[in-house]
Amino acid sequence: MSKSIRQQFADTMLAVGQRDTDLVVIVGDISHGILQPFAAAFPDRYYNIGILEPTMMSLGAGMSSVGLYPVLHTIAPFLIERSFEQLKLDFCYHQLHGNVVSVGAAFDYSYLGCTHHCYDDFALLKTLQGSEICTPASAAEFDALFLQTYRNSHLTVSRLCGQNHGVEFRASDIIFGKAAKIADGSDVTLVAVGSQLRTAMRAQELLADKNLTADILYIHTVRPIDIEPIRASALKTRKVVVLEEHMRSGGFGDDVLRHIYEIPDLRFHSLAIPDVFVRNYGSYDDLCESVGLTPEAVVTAVLTK
Amino acid sequence: MTMLQRDHVPNKDLRRQIVDMCVSGQNGHIPSAFSILDIIIVLYRDVLKFDAKDPLWDERDYFILSKGHGCLALYVNLHRHHFITDNDVRLFCKKGGILGEHPDRTKVPGVEASTGSLGHGLSFALGIHLGLRIQNKRNRIFVLVGDGECHEGTVWEAANIARNRKLGNLCVIVDWNQSAMQLMPFDDMPAKWAAFGWNVQVVDGHNEKEIQAAIANVAFVNDGIPHVIVAKTIKGFGIPMIEGHGKWHHRIPDANEHKQLMEALA
Repeated sequence: MSKSIRQQFADTMLAVGQRDTDLVVIVGDISHGILQPFAAAFPDRYYNIGILEPTMMSLGAGMSSVGLYPVLHTIAPFLIERSFEQLKLDFCYHQLHGNVVSVGAAFDYSYLGCTHHCYDDFALLKTLQGSEICTPASAAEFDALFLQTYRNSHLTVSRLCGQNHGVEFRASDIIFGKAAKIADGSDVTLVAVGSQLRTAMRAQELLADKNLTADILYIHTVRPIDIEPIRASALKTRKVVVLEEHMRSGGFGDDVLRHIYEIPDLRFHSLAIPDVFVRNYGSYDDLCESVGLTPEAVVTAVLTK
Repeated sequence: MTMLQRDHVPNKDLRRQIVDMCVSGQNGHIPSAFSILDIIIVLYRDVLKFDAKDPLWDERDYFILSKGHGCLALYVNLHRHHFITDNDVRLFCKKGGILGEHPDRTKVPGVEASTGSLGHGLSFALGIHLGLRIQNKRNRIFVLVGDGECHEGTVWEAANIARNRKLGNLCVIVDWNQSAMQLMPFDDMPAKWAAFGWNVQVVDGHNEKEIQAAIANVAFVNDGIPHVIVAKTIKGFGIPMIEGHGKWHHRIPDANEHKQLMEALA
């Protein structure tokens, strides 16, 4: 079984921390157990600071202001939504760098209800000047993206997607800010963000049964958007479906459409979470089904939209 | 602490400069600036280590004005100590200027944090303190917060962390001008900080000697108990007609009022 992305987070912190004395990890009582190797190795650079996310965020910005590279980590809604003004002002308005790594993408915590969901993070973070948004959905991706970005001069937010999409990447295949080409086809362009690559891969099989082939582009960097491969594929297929675990409003699909809407005869469909609270319980797959993020929905979109 | 001194108004020159800047820029919070002016004067004149030619000097003390709307009091001190120029002052709140109604760290030399939204400065300062500790540095850190600002929960989140992490190079000064009194009073501000485990002193925030003595009492031990100086102040102190929490909070003097204020500060 492949390593979980959360374990990779802990392993990457340890590996980077060993060679970079400027790396500081601050958590809000989440992942404290798996980060113990880091805590033991670097007790002065590890803080389980308390359950007070806005202050944790401001504190991280203050650390950044003296030249350190903080990593701030807890569950996504508390890190992004609750602490949004701190992200906005203390990091971005101050023009400070830093790393925010959230766990619990979208409705990964499917049994915990809406308080622990976060599917508006792209929309919020896109409004912050200079912010970068990554959505790694496998261990190798997180490691590669973190190594490439953690000393960037901007705020970098990594949404750890707990559901592995099942595609193995080599580290060299993952380049921050670049879409990854997964499959070549001619009938439709499937643009899959994070864990939804799995849905796209399954949809590809269903489309093959109908003698349709798909270009599949995988997005692990939501911001900055790598639009050129999407545009090139759209010019070829004239049919684009974007799959993402984000509310339709303000999601990656909005960004794609803004860039390619002038392509003649383009058909575009956004497969995203409707603009409602996902109040259902059940497994991750149950919630995907409840909001229409399924391979069958992709096929329907391709055939009818 | 002695009773608040009301018979002697210190630092009339900088009070006049604040009024003039407010009139020139047609913006500013005069009473909030007057409330904290004497504290900031003492800090820059007698306490803080800095180099105006090198505002990011490694060995400087840090000062964060968390109640950013009082920034006119900071600006006149930054001007007096040559961080900013006559021209910067002239362009307060004007096109092309670097000084706005809240301080911007990316524009103004000597400003450590861009404040304005209340409840950020102390938490930001904790990160500076912890960061400097990691780097084996021992710079002192001063943060000025308002008593109204202490309604913000993040102030107390930060107070908890500072004590828990023994951030003893930190000195918070509370501008206890009773802004909170009009909506949700703190009946005993010193007790609140004491309850969080801080060392607490109470001073007359318009008495320079008391402010100096209180700061001199602070041990500044890197792994020690954080300190708070609760400064009893009067919003608008120096000109009775603008004192208190009425219309002058954000009022720009008209020509006649400008004349009256300057006469009062003669």
